[in-house]
Amino acid sequence: MPEQYNAKGVFPVQVRGRVPIDPLNLAIRRDDRKCILCGQCVEACERVQTVMGHYDLPLIDQIPCIDCGQCTLWCPTGAITEVDDTAKVIRALENPDLHVVVQTAPATRVALGEEFGMPPGTDIELQQVAALKALGFDTVLDTNFSADLTIMEEATELVERLHGKGPLPQFTSCSPGWVKFCEMFYPEFIPNLSSAKSPMTMLGAMIKTHYAKVRGIDPAKIVSVAIMPCTAKKSEAARPEMNGAGMLWEKPEIRDIDIVLTTRELARLIKSRQIDLAELKPQPYDRLLSEYSGAGVLFGVTGGVMEAAVRTGYYLASGKRPPDALLDLQPVRGLKGIKEATVDIPGAGQIRVAVCSGMSNARPVLDAIRKGEKHWHFVEFMGCPGGCIAGGGQPRSALPPSDAVRTARMNALYSLDERQTVRLSYENSEIKAIYDNFLGKPCGELPHRLLHTHYQDRSMHLNAKKA
Amino acid sequence: MSKGVLVDLSKCIGCGSCTVACKMYNQNQWIEDRSPTCGAQATLADQNWTVIKSFEVEKDGKPVWRFVKEQCLHCREPACASACFAKAFQKTPEGPVVYYPSLCVGCRYCMVACPFSVPKYEWEKPLPYVTKCMMCASRVTNGQAPACVSVCPTHVMTFGDRDALLEQAKTIIANNPGYVQHIYGEKEVGGTEWIYISDVPFEKLGFKTGLTEKPLPSYTSTFMTYTPIFGGAWAVVLGGIALFTHRKDKVASKEKSESDPAPRKTIEPDERRPS
Repeated sequence: MPEQYNAKGVFPVQVRGRVPIDPLNLAIRRDDRKCILCGQCVEACERVQTVMGHYDLPLIDQIPCIDCGQCTLWCPTGAITEVDDTAKVIRALENPDLHVVVQTAPATRVALGEEFGMPPGTDIELQQVAALKALGFDTVLDTNFSADLTIMEEATELVERLHGKGPLPQFTSCSPGWVKFCEMFYPEFIPNLSSAKSPMTMLGAMIKTHYAKVRGIDPAKIVSVAIMPCTAKKSEAARPEMNGAGMLWEKPEIRDIDIVLTTRELARLIKSRQIDLAELKPQPYDRLLSEYSGAGVLFGVTGGVMEAAVRTGYYLASGKRPPDALLDLQPVRGLKGIKEATVDIPGAGQIRVAVCSGMSNARPVLDAIRKGEKHWHFVEFMGCPGGCIAGGGQPRSALPPSDAVRTARMNALYSLDERQTVRLSYENSEIKAIYDNFLGKPCGELPHRLLHTHYQDRSMHLNAKKA
Repeated sequence: MSKGVLVDLSKCIGCGSCTVACKMYNQNQWIEDRSPTCGAQATLADQNWTVIKSFEVEKDGKPVWRFVKEQCLHCREPACASACFAKAFQKTPEGPVVYYPSLCVGCRYCMVACPFSVPKYEWEKPLPYVTKCMMCASRVTNGQAPACVSVCPTHVMTFGDRDALLEQAKTIIANNPGYVQHIYGEKEVGGTEWIYISDVPFEKLGFKTGLTEKPLPSYTSTFMTYTPIFGGAWAVVLGGIALFTHRKDKVASKEKSESDPAPRKTIEPDERRPS
């Protein structure tokens, strides 16, 4: 037990309770034997994410939780962890009848190395691919590709909304923690959420349709695994409506994503197979659904989705390539909780955007919109402070999470963006090809069936405190 | 004045902090495989002095989740203490009913006597004792709340003078029609130091209802008060019989010796030894 919790006598003086966790929670769980009641989880849940303590009692029929997993990063004894799904992955890999496809989120490549003694922010993108191949995955794809796909859909949707089709501001919808938060505490803003799925589920739907077709594999035999920096992705993948591909094949039991592993679980899997990540020779991602632009990689950091969407939105609204200044949109970068910017887009005028991360920062933004004090066109929300790079499934390199680690990972992603020759989602050649050969037009009929989703009002499951 | 705890079940979110605090303070083992401390299957056990049991019940036609903290209710007139002839269970003036293992003979009458099935036996151990919640008696004596009460993040439990808590509970349920208009433990088996209020009927939450309002020891005390008199009277009767029979024997032997005066042949010491 850490010294600060010890006091003279048998009972520590600094006991402060803990957050409630439903034993059936799909994202996080707790080992009671390790809990020391230090109250760090309460701190994270109540102050950083404004969930616990922001509903009136009695409970209704749920333990309110947005599955973000920030508590797993704050827990000093490791009592709270992600739900361990590595056994499911091992079973799938050992089954010769199954074709196991894996995708890796933007933010895992700059954090996984920390589990193997590398400094925070070490980019091990291609060693990660090599490790996944060594583990026996049949195909390794990149969620960065579907981040570009998300941008095509989300930016098209934004331009449509700017032309009066749908309410403004448009809210991003790729952070499942944020989406659940909105559904629980601010259901009146559900129409503002972009209907675009998150990059993970978009790629999942593409794997079991386009990829299956091109490779000639029965989609029912594909196991789709996602390596994510996030615990909430586990519950997102389990949402009943996340079976776009299955609905298309008229087999609703086919899920877009079958198993989600956090960065920490992947590290455990790699270690359990005695693979030394640092020693691995870099290997490229498999083709078809892996090319990415600099814009796609920015999804891993707060402000990144905004920056990526603005780049493509500029092109979609004006028909012109965005100026170089737009490729370095400083006002939306950095760890500040709430950031604002105004972008001049010919054909659309002055576009006011806002970016916030951590749900304690979402509340003032939403309240300002609700009161009519602010009139943004587009707002990016990320569940975890700093965005996915500091997600609830990332390595616990600093305890509690520190801005130094967040900044290091963030800078690594920005330099990845700068190194890309293609930095605009619409210039991604695989994206162009997939719209030409399979999907048709962004926000068209097939994209709507595969790449868009709907949300549900969850406010009846809790008595949210009125602001 | 005895101390007590007021438990407002409508505030419990089921985090189980109290169960962890109990284990930490009392240094009890985790026996989750055998008896979980939280959840629908949670059960009091030799190592689980308090548990949080979860219930999904219907309220106003809709399912709701509620959590119940179970532990010893610390009866004002405890049946366990009354049943224990070894005085291993003792009611303290501060309220807690404390168990002294050094006095226990292991008869487990307490387990039979308890109306709430609280005392448990260490069946797994070669030298077992009875165990139960002691309301952190040493903390209570020092004016501190029991460990479980001190860690609750949503202030489900209030520690204080039992009489004041009862008044507080009455005010709460009187001002809020959402609550069941009953304070569990106010009168049950003569009253308990731990009292509960709830917005869901107690019988739906696993509480034993319909219990007598009379303290359980009072059922036996009326005739048990005759124990000394009965014992004394019995001694007199037996003593009388003994006196009578002894006297009869004495008289009989005396009469026999008078009617047969011939001396018995006695064996001389020399005759016994071989010469």
